[in-house]
Amino acid sequence: MRKLRWLLAILLAFSLVAAACGDDDDAADSGVDAGDDADAGDDADADDADADADADADDDADADDDADAGDDADAGDDADAPAELVTGEGVDADEMVIRVGLNTDLSGLFAPLTTKITDGQLAYWEDLNANGGIEGWTIEPIVIDNAYDVPTHVENYEVFSGGGDESVVMLSTSTGSPHTAAIAEDLIDDEMFAIPLSWYSGWADPSIGQNVFEVQTNYCIEAMNGVSYLAEQFGNKVAIASFPGDYGQDGAIGAKVAAEALGLEVVYDGEAAVVPGADQTPVITGIVESGADFVWLTTNPGTAAELLGGAAAGGFTGMWSGNSPTWNPALLNTGIGDYADTNYIHSTYTVLWGVGDAPAMGDMISVMEELRPDAPLDDTYIISWIQGRITEQVIRQALANGDITRAGMVAAANEITVDLGGLAPDQNWGGDANDGVVRESYMYDVDASVYSPGATVAEGGGTGYTLLEGPFVSDTAAAWEYEPCFKAS
Amino acid sequence: MTSLTLRLLNARGSVSPVVAFMVGLGSVLGVFMLLQLFNDPEIFIQTLAKSLGLGSVYAIIALGFVLIFKATQTVNFAQGGLAVAGALFLSFLVADDHIPFTTISNPFNDIPGPSWIGWGASVIVAMCFAALLGLVIERLTIRPMIGQPLFSVAVITLGLEIVIRVFNNDAVKIEFRSLEVPWGVDGFRIGDAFINWSTMAAMITAAIAFVAVYFFYRSRTGIAMRAVAFDQEAAMAQGIDVGRVFAIAWAAGAVLAMIGGVFATQPPVRQTLSVEPETATIAFRALPAVILGGLDSATGALLGGLIIGLAEIFAGQYAAGEVGWLGAGYPLIVPYIVMIIGLIIRPYGLFGTPEIRRV
Amino acid sequence: MYGRPNLYTSYKQESQILPTWSQKIVLGIFLLILLAMPLDLWLTEQIPFVRFLGDNEWLPLINKVLVFAIATLGLNLLAGVAGQVSLGHAFFMGVGAVTAVFLGGQSSDNLHGLGLPIWIWLPGAGVAAALAGVIVSPVAVRLRGLYLAIVTLGLVFLGIHFGNTTWGAKFAGAPGLGRKAPKLDIRLWKEETPLINLDDDGRWLGFDVSDKAKTYFLLLGLTVIFAVMAKNIIRTRTGRALQAIRDRDIAAEVMGIPEFRYKVIAFGISSFYAGVAGALFSAALSGQVLAADFGLFFSVEFIAVLLIGGAGTTAGPLVGAFFVVMIPKFVETFTKWLDKTEGGITGKFADVALTGPEGDFGVIYTGVQTPGWQLNVFDWNIVLFGFLIIVFLIFEPLGLYGVWIRVRNYWKRWPFSY
Repeated sequence: MRKLRWLLAILLAFSLVAAACGDDDDAADSGVDAGDDADAGDDADADDADADADADADDDADADDDADAGDDADAGDDADAPAELVTGEGVDADEMVIRVGLNTDLSGLFAPLTTKITDGQLAYWEDLNANGGIEGWTIEPIVIDNAYDVPTHVENYEVFSGGGDESVVMLSTSTGSPHTAAIAEDLIDDEMFAIPLSWYSGWADPSIGQNVFEVQTNYCIEAMNGVSYLAEQFGNKVAIASFPGDYGQDGAIGAKVAAEALGLEVVYDGEAAVVPGADQTPVITGIVESGADFVWLTTNPGTAAELLGGAAAGGFTGMWSGNSPTWNPALLNTGIGDYADTNYIHSTYTVLWGVGDAPAMGDMISVMEELRPDAPLDDTYIISWIQGRITEQVIRQALANGDITRAGMVAAANEITVDLGGLAPDQNWGGDANDGVVRESYMYDVDASVYSPGATVAEGGGTGYTLLEGPFVSDTAAAWEYEPCFKAS
Repeated sequence: MTSLTLRLLNARGSVSPVVAFMVGLGSVLGVFMLLQLFNDPEIFIQTLAKSLGLGSVYAIIALGFVLIFKATQTVNFAQGGLAVAGALFLSFLVADDHIPFTTISNPFNDIPGPSWIGWGASVIVAMCFAALLGLVIERLTIRPMIGQPLFSVAVITLGLEIVIRVFNNDAVKIEFRSLEVPWGVDGFRIGDAFINWSTMAAMITAAIAFVAVYFFYRSRTGIAMRAVAFDQEAAMAQGIDVGRVFAIAWAAGAVLAMIGGVFATQPPVRQTLSVEPETATIAFRALPAVILGGLDSATGALLGGLIIGLAEIFAGQYAAGEVGWLGAGYPLIVPYIVMIIGLIIRPYGLFGTPEIRRV
Repeated sequence: MYGRPNLYTSYKQESQILPTWSQKIVLGIFLLILLAMPLDLWLTEQIPFVRFLGDNEWLPLINKVLVFAIATLGLNLLAGVAGQVSLGHAFFMGVGAVTAVFLGGQSSDNLHGLGLPIWIWLPGAGVAAALAGVIVSPVAVRLRGLYLAIVTLGLVFLGIHFGNTTWGAKFAGAPGLGRKAPKLDIRLWKEETPLINLDDDGRWLGFDVSDKAKTYFLLLGLTVIFAVMAKNIIRTRTGRALQAIRDRDIAAEVMGIPEFRYKVIAFGISSFYAGVAGALFSAALSGQVLAADFGLFFSVEFIAVLLIGGAGTTAGPLVGAFFVVMIPKFVETFTKWLDKTEGGITGKFADVALTGPEGDFGVIYTGVQTPGWQLNVFDWNIVLFGFLIIVFLIFEPLGLYGVWIRVRNYWKRWPFSY
């Protein structure tokens, strides 16, 4: 028992010390954060920046912080740089530091994926700060782990949105759909915006995600493009299988929209039929018996492998494709690798590592090689870079407007069209949701010959894809009038 | 089978209503299966092979639970973590170029002859590592608990599961770690019915494991183990080394978990042939089999596994249209429903020993 | 009877909740401090730990402690007092949360909701969960020990599955996204302006109170009520019957305690607590009802809270909840502080314990993506949680309550060793 008493004494001392210094440390980079995960659906924000969103934002610019800069308060849309800068929470004006928050999963369900995305974004800021920051301002990323747990996400948000040393001007990552949904109302109250790690089509609807700024094509449009592309190549009988929920059904509904518009025959409708962890016999039987020409999946990689393998064993000969999180190149090294190499086509909403000659791609690869040579080679860093570029350009615009308060950031984000340097189509949130939604996606052939498993960034190599087409917009997606595909409420 | 017959009959030798119910249910299912057999024999054979394969994987995992329960009277909730850890050992041996943390090249890559020889050698070495892990865990966390309330020990294993899982998932960072299984996802066909080699391998392994456990219980150590299960203190008084019995049970349990973990990456469970974080869920999927068969019976583990496997796959194959209200993915809950029905009929499982309650 | 804590002159006196004056005074002061914690008072400023926990950034955690305490008080009645170990506590919490959101949430095309006020949905959540408990109990009563634990574990899987089916999602919200939890605002009926607004910052009795502080006061009140209720159940007829069943069920039956009836009662009461806690969990903590939240890990957390705090006591769940919820945050904060320390003894310690991206041999990685096999501080927190369960069970099966008993006895006898 003596041992235990010691242990308790140490723990107590430890907690007292921690408590005493608790409120004055800034977490800076000691946290870990992770990005998003593939299957659980994450949140995306596509704030379509409807007109009133920025109107509000401008009005409130002065409400929440430094009253002394009152005259610039509604500088939101002043293009000519004002003499004095309005600052607020999340900014250390003396040290010229602007803090951005990453509320991300570093130890939970999706940590393997989100950790990479977060690390990539940290590399982005390290590089930016080493090169002088933004007009002399240093960007300090604050990383807090949400462990993929909704209450923890809300607790972290309280820290980010407060006034302490870990307060931030915006959330450059908010991981998890239910998590982001849980803070969506508070974001509006606090006049702050968040970039979600999820591509749910609902975020673009101002009534769902006014201050959640979704980036890239959503699952629904991606599925429309994907099905249109496959229908041209492989025939007109389509089978659809998806997880239940915001991720899976978003994709499945998009696929059905395209099937209807193109007059395809949906020979198997497995919307919400795939439950992760369950035995997939019913779905596999359905796909095999349908005799489809191609299958559209909205699942995670492990479950996709189960469906591919099971259907192949049952003699199914059609093609496969699915929403971006359905595939992981590591599957090329698994039992279904050979089958997938010939029968799977990957759809996604960004260019992939080393593909194409976009200027931002070169930057990203050279920065990663310099700062993270030992990190595993992965396509997810592109998402980090996109989030980083958006955040940087919003801050630049806010600085130009002379208002770097939280509300100023929202206003700036609603004004600009972000230039993603070819990593993905440029995007803006200022107008109507229907105009703001991104409709381009990319199709890649899964190709084992260009895949370097286990490679680090420094070693280089490929991530297992060759570009088939993209960025392209299918007729269905172009004609589609925006509304949330999967209606959760 | 005599003991089975005896147990299903009550003390007076007459047939109880419960048995009558079970026999009735069994014959209805039997008739249904016969109909399916004549309706489409190929699908039926394929489904049967698949379900027996899945049932065998459950049986292997369940045997691990039973071994540990029999010795320590506790359910090892860390079996899933051990399954992944064991499978990871194998993956280091068969899929990596170097021994972890070093630059020494992996000696198992250089074994001459067909690749399955190196793979088989790796499996044996990985089994030793798994056994060692079991021994260490037992010595550190279970041995000090001899004589403590049984539920405390069970909760300790829950704590172990949490710790092992972090090391598996976040330290080793498994996403998909290949196991290089020699038979892959290939198989053979009977007519149009496709049967994976891995399904056959799982069935054979389950049979071997069952026979091994059966004879182990008749060996000197096995008898000691049964004595410990009966009464720890009395066994100690007879000069049985309870600690040693615990250690053997945990080592064997960890090895069975590892084998189950390796099969949990192959058809009919998964198609990836790679360790994933999800591999750990096989232990929780096998729990209904353990409980249905009875926590302390090896025969129960085998039959429980097979019954659950049959129920799960046959429901998935043939009941898809009929059970819409159970929702998509209903095969996931079929084992639990079968388990609960089984326990209502027999509270200690089909073959479990009822606890003797004294005042 | 001052100064003679062990002298009782009547049975009634012995079974009092607080037998001595010193206990009454200490508890009173403690409650006062808890009440003042989030307020800007001169007094609270003077007690550093208290003021800091009352901060807006830490209050959500304290709220979590309170919700966990209510849930564990319920589990304690079943597992600690009646000896029926259940891994299905998360299931009953889920039933409570879904009932609450059905009664209190807004309806729409894809969701059922009645939009009723909190004084209906909160007790309603408890009652629905209690009903579920009573329905399950006939099966549960037949089972013993680990068979019971695993069958209740099965309930958790069944609950999540049905919450995610097409018809279940109409109550529990879309799988993977969930639905908005009901608001805590206190209304008489469905009127626009709530009687008491708990959702925005405001001023109460001359104090500035944030929304978190308002939630805190509500939860604190509920926790006190539920703790007193639990204490009363334990010390009265029902509790004594349950303890007799726990200690030896056959002996209890021989003494004339109807085992079946009391086990059903235990399941019902325990599930009532769980239901209320589940409703509060989604309404006050996460703001989002999500079936997948009520999984196995959640059940394990409450078992851990119970065992670390001390099973069978009323104080145990309260202390255990504080310990389990707060420790990870303390560790995280401590690591961040350590990471910035240079030189001195703490600096040396930091060198040994931590490793940064440039790499040395520390076990705690301070970066995000570890290059090798190191774990970052968040992973270590989970490991620590597992270790705490193991260490407490091995070294102190009575939990923190047992530690307290030992400390108390030491000082009682001081300066003699026994």
